[in-house]
Amino acid sequence: MINDKNSQKISDFVQNWARKHSIWVLAYGTGCGAIEIPPTMTSRYDAERLGVRGAATPRQADVLLITGYLTTKTLKRVIRVYEQMQDPKYVIGFGSCTINGGMYYDSYNTIKLLDKYLPVDVYINGCMPRPESVLAGFGKLQELIAEGKANGAKEYKENHKYYRDNLRKIIGNKYEMPEYNW
Amino acid sequence: MKEIKAKLIEKIGGSFENVSVKDHDSNRLDFHVDTNVIPQILTFLKVNMGYIHLSHISCVDWIEDGEFEIVYIVWSPTEKLKVFVRTRISREKPLLPNIDMIWRQANTYERELREMYGVEVDGLVADKEFLLEDWEGMPPMRRDFKTEEYAQNTFWSRDGREDAVDVREEIIKRSREEIPDFAKKYSR
Repeated sequence: MINDKNSQKISDFVQNWARKHSIWVLAYGTGCGAIEIPPTMTSRYDAERLGVRGAATPRQADVLLITGYLTTKTLKRVIRVYEQMQDPKYVIGFGSCTINGGMYYDSYNTIKLLDKYLPVDVYINGCMPRPESVLAGFGKLQELIAEGKANGAKEYKENHKYYRDNLRKIIGNKYEMPEYNW
Repeated sequence: MKEIKAKLIEKIGGSFENVSVKDHDSNRLDFHVDTNVIPQILTFLKVNMGYIHLSHISCVDWIEDGEFEIVYIVWSPTEKLKVFVRTRISREKPLLPNIDMIWRQANTYERELREMYGVEVDGLVADKEFLLEDWEGMPPMRRDFKTEEYAQNTFWSRDGREDAVDVREEIIKRSREEIPDFAKKYSR
């Protein structure tokens, strides 16, 4: 009965339906984009009606929002945070800086491509993206979850070496990253 | 304001040698002094003249002259006057006298100077590392540090940034929107 294809489909549907309506965002702002989160969460745009709300710790959160530029110093912490999050987990790249560097394209200390280090499910364009586009981004993530296409965490597990090598190339070998069980 | 400035110029000029003054219209006064009298002049300003607040220590890279210019900005809350104390040190062996016994918070600025410009401070007690982690090579705020080249060599970059193609026509075709009139003048 459990291996039956139809029942698998049904359980997947129910799982994804539940996941898509409780997206908990880790309250971790990396760049200037974090300033757009309070208006998104509070009364005017009220993201909680979509099931989007803040979570205090990585282990309680489903979504890691990379809000803006990432310095190499923050990158190490972000990767550690991402690896501590429980499956299912998703990453949203927020703002131009995560896409191609944005206005920090020639900085000596910020990374330009987020998807070299983390599997990004949804990008939100803009500098800054307004709360409307943030909500649109969450809507897109909900669609992907419902269709079962938001498989960033799975990708990260399978290509762990690729992501870790890219990270090492940037941060060097001095900094110790803990190896979690996969 | 003019009387306060004149009094200060007279006192500083009388007490120290090789001082040149530049006056500004606003509540600001510049002194160019020798490097070795920096602790004395700042102590004099703080203790005798009431310039008790250290606003900032900054550095200017005069690469053409082969010199760094260090600027100490102090502020007097009673006389409402900013005093800039400037000094020049050589770029080859930049060494500054330590002033963190005058203002404790100067320690932070001096660490930043050491990390970002490679300016050594005499007898500074602090960790070598401040803001940057595991940084090797030339300090990044020096003018001969090629920032853009470094960024291109170190980090991956997405294709399509260099040519800066106007993709709005394509986007408009795809989404069947029209460019509003006010936005047309920004079209390339």
